[in-house]
Parts: sequence; structure tokens; C-alpha cells
Amino acid sequence: MSKTPVYTLVDELPNRGLTVMSLKALDFAVPGAWNNLTGFVNTIKEVTGETDEALIQEIGDRAITLYNDKSEGYQKALWLYQTVDSASSALGTGMIANKFTENKSFLGLINKLTPKPEKAQSFDLTIKLVVELVAFCQINGIPGDSIGDFLGAVKDYGGESLMRMAALVCYDGLVPLGPGFAEKGLATLKQSSASDLDHNKTFKGVKELIPGNNDKGKLSFVTESFESVQDWMLGFVGDRGLTQDKVVTSLSKAVDLSQDKLEYLGAFLDVGTNYYEHTGIQTLTRRLIERAAAEV
Amino acid sequence: MMMPRLRRLCAAISQKAFLAIALSAVLIVSTGCTAFAPPESPSAQFEQTQSETSGRKAPDAVAKDAVKGGSLNDFFPRSVAGYSGYEVVAAQEKQGFAQFKVNEGGANVAVLSINDTISNPNAATKYESSTRDIQGFPALSIGNNGTGVLVGDRFQVKVQSRSDSFKAEDREAWLEKFDFKGLAKLNR
Repeated sequence: MSKTPVYTLVDELPNRGLTVMSLKALDFAVPGAWNNLTGFVNTIKEVTGETDEALIQEIGDRAITLYNDKSEGYQKALWLYQTVDSASSALGTGMIANKFTENKSFLGLINKLTPKPEKAQSFDLTIKLVVELVAFCQINGIPGDSIGDFLGAVKDYGGESLMRMAALVCYDGLVPLGPGFAEKGLATLKQSSASDLDHNKTFKGVKELIPGNNDKGKLSFVTESFESVQDWMLGFVGDRGLTQDKVVTSLSKAVDLSQDKLEYLGAFLDVGTNYYEHTGIQTLTRRLIERAAAEV
Repeated sequence: MMMPRLRRLCAAISQKAFLAIALSAVLIVSTGCTAFAPPESPSAQFEQTQSETSGRKAPDAVAKDAVKGGSLNDFFPRSVAGYSGYEVVAAQEKQGFAQFKVNEGGANVAVLSINDTISNPNAATKYESSTRDIQGFPALSIGNNGTGVLVGDRFQVKVQSRSDSFKAEDREAWLEKFDFKGLAKLNR
């Protein structure tokens, strides 16, 4: 688990760079939801609206105390967000290497954006979703296998949590897997054995915190979770009229990516961004501060 | 052959040049050091708490005797007359703590919470300065946006505004609807 003080994590969140630009590119999907709030004291002021220095100090002190107690779950949530980002980056690095060795032209933009292997990408999408569920439970104190509670909460998601889900649906679903991303994800899970899952780097990275007595139990938890949230994800895409083209166009404008580099977009996002960790730190800090402000 | 006067002049110039170079070097080094010195952390004010609450001997953040968060849920109001269209949504539930959000039209306007001050007694002692009560328990305004009540000398109940539309009188109206008598019985 991280030994970095929670205030340093928030103070050092970047205000620019590929992660921030790629998230801002999704503002069209969730208008005004995310304003990249950084800085520990700044977050206390923004969340609580308080201005009294002594009260801000008290809230910050209590938040730090809660975060540093490992049994409170905040450090586990951070570890999950960080680990799932770094494991999926390794996947992206492999894809970029594949692109260089394939050395052949691509038929069209969509093909160019569909990374290989699709199975690994599908696993990545489903495991990231389950990580969100488990981290949510760690942060909010709900039993770790409570899919129903999570489903209720995800409908109420706002701010950086909603942006994280938008990025998951767009950058790990729609862009690499196309409009049938949810079906592909579920089909991959249903056709897979526990040992298939155990060969996936993203799963291996976080499996110790996924509910289930063994890999088979964990696979069925991942499948059940993904199946339950599938409708919400499809509704998210449908209600907002999101398409692969719209996402790619907005992103390529934001990061100033020229047409001849678009084929690397999916892998580029994997390697160059850590949106789960970035917005995950923002979410857990908000929840910590909400709790601390209530307790002091 | 150099004239003695000229030699003295050259010596004086080179001495001055040497001093100027030396002074510049000192300046460069000193300003360089300033530029590269680690800046003070923007959250330096929390470093003491960090050192006191991290490491092996760090105290627990929540007392072992604190009540279960789930046992606090029943005392929250789920609706308040005059606030139709407001929705109460569960937010957090940890040992010694429970929190609900109050949303209006999908936007968060307030948060309701109960915490067991057995974990942080200072939260309870501040009510010694209370000069008013809500439902017979000492109440305080806290900061710009909060109103709190200490129930049974142990449980702090707070309503905090998260929107300018939710004012101090709204906080008090919601505090009136908590089940304080039931909550006080938990402290036995």
C-alpha cells in the first residue's frame, strides 16, 4: 500500500498532460461533470464551502487520520485504482510493440483503433468495472460483494466518479471494442475459464481484493458484476448518443493527434494515461473529506 | 615593455574582473540553490498529523467500542414535510459513522450524518459552549455551512449545506426530524 501522505497525492495531481486532456475531451459526454479539482486544502474548501482556517485544519487532520488507518479501506481503494491502471498500461505497451511488428496497412480508422488481442481488451474492460465496484465498497463502507448497492449508487454518480465511468465506457469500451463492447465483454467472460482469467495481467494485479474464494469464484463475481452493470453502460451510451467517431474526433482534437497516428490511439491511451488513478484519488479524497467534515 | 603605470592599471582591472567573476559565481550559486531548493509543501500544515498517525504505533482512527455504522441508519429522516422532491440517498457507512445525501433534482444540496464521538472526543466537548437546543439536545452552528447537535453526550448529528439554496433554517428543519430519543438510547 502507498506510504505517500494523502495530501501529497492530491497536491501532486497534474493540471495538464495526456490524462487531463483525454478526460477533458469527454466533457461533451458528461457536460460540466468534471473540473479536475486538485490540491488538498483546495479540495476541503471546495467540498465543504468552509473558509475558517482552524476548521479546515481540523477537517484535514481528521481526513489524514482516517486515511492512514489501513482498516478504513481508503488505502486499499487507492491501491486498486493504481494497480488496475498500471496493469492495463502493460497491456498497451504490448499492443504498441505489436503494431510496429505487424507492418501492414489498415483498412480504415475503426480497424486501426481496434487493438489486438480483443480478448485481453475485453478482460481489461470488465476487470476495471469490477475494480470500480470493489473500490466503491472500500471507500463507502459497503460490503465488498454488494452489487445491488453499487448499482443504486452508480446511477447517482457525479463529478469525477461520473467522468471515470465515462472514460471507462469510451476509452476501454467504445473506442477499442466498438458499439458492441458490452456484449463482447460479457461473451469473453462467459467463454473463459478461471485459468484464462488468471493469465490476464490486469486481473492478476488486483485479484486479491476481488471477492471469491478462488479464481473460479472470482470469475463468476466479475461476470455477475459486469452483467448487472451492462444495462447502465448501454443506457449511458444511448442516452448521450455516444459513438466511436464522436469520441475519437473529440479526443484527437484535444490531444492534437494527427490522422496518421490515430492507429495507435487505443494503445496510446493505455500507456499514456492513468485516468483511473487520477480520478480515483479525487473520489477517495472527496469521500474522506465528507466524512472528516461530518466527524469533527 | 609595459610601463609600470599601465601594469598597475592592468593589475587593478584584473583584480576587479576577478572580484566581479567571483561575485557573479556566488550569486549564480546562491540563486541557483534557491531555485532548486525543494519548495515548501502546500500542505505542510498537516505534516505533524501525518507523522503522528502513520507508522506502526499509529493509533486507530476509530475506537473499537464505536457503534456499527448500520445501527445508526434508522435514526435519519427519509423525508421532511415541506421538502417534496428531495431525495435521501445512502452515502457512507463505516464503524461509528453513517452519512446520507439530500438531493434535489439530482443535485446534492445537503449531507446528513451521525458519528460516534467515542473515536474523537473533541467533537463532543465543543458542545459545552452551546447556548441553544434542538429537540432538547445541545446545538451549535459549525463553520459557514454546518449545524450540529450532540445527542446522549456521545453522538454528533450534523446537517451540512452543499448548496446556497439549503440555508441554516433548512438544516434546523431537518435536524428536528431525526430520531434523537432513539439515538440517545444507543449510549448505554
